[in-house]
Amino acid sequence: MSDQRLPSASAVEAATRFSNRRLTADELQAYVDAPVSEAERQEALRLIRWFKTRYPTPAERLSYAQRAYARWNAQQR
Amino acid sequence: MRGSAFDELSFFAAIQGSGARALLIGRRALVILGLPVLTADYDFWLHSEDIEKLNEATRPFDLEPNRSPDDARRSGRYVLENDEHIDVLVSDSRTTVDGVKVRFEDLWSRRVSVDIGSAKVFIPSIDDLILTKRIAARPKDAEDIRLLERLKEAQDE
Repeated sequence: MSDQRLPSASAVEAATRFSNRRLTADELQAYVDAPVSEAERQEALRLIRWFKTRYPTPAERLSYAQRAYARWNAQQR
Repeated sequence: MRGSAFDELSFFAAIQGSGARALLIGRRALVILGLPVLTADYDFWLHSEDIEKLNEATRPFDLEPNRSPDDARRSGRYVLENDEHIDVLVSDSRTTVDGVKVRFEDLWSRRVSVDIGSAKVFIPSIDDLILTKRIAARPKDAEDIRLLERLKEAQDE
């Protein structure tokens, strides 16, 4: 059994604060404008096509999102 | 969170039936459009005169507002919650991180109606969703903007 320690509450709080911070206009633009490789672009398009084909209606997509979140949430426990 | 079953379709139907001018924004709108992103919450941008209508419509789902309507108007946002968490923005306008004023009325006039089962949900256009992402401007919003750009590309194929 591995000896894994959970991060402290303050570490989790700091990480959350960092990931929820508001970027400056320049930071946001730099992120949005970062070059996309052709492979990355094709992978994103493939994922969108798969999702819209597998779940053709908005209701099915929302239902998928609920299941996906429930799965993710269960894995966090 | 998520201790009780939540009938999402009835929830959207109740909001539609209330007549509240509510735009579904945030990642759930991205999911509706075809992006498989992870999300826990619901985010709405609501006309500031319609807080009471939304609260009344969502009461049967045991959703409790964390602020009175007057307090929500003053602060520009409030939360409806029980096992679900609904973030509600009620400002007439917000400003993006690069200084562009985004008005609710403009987004509402360009809204897109989406059928969810027997209910209708109103979402902003893709370009307007990108504007809302530039208001919050967190790292995940930057990632969502990139995904929305890919979605536009996919729609043009």
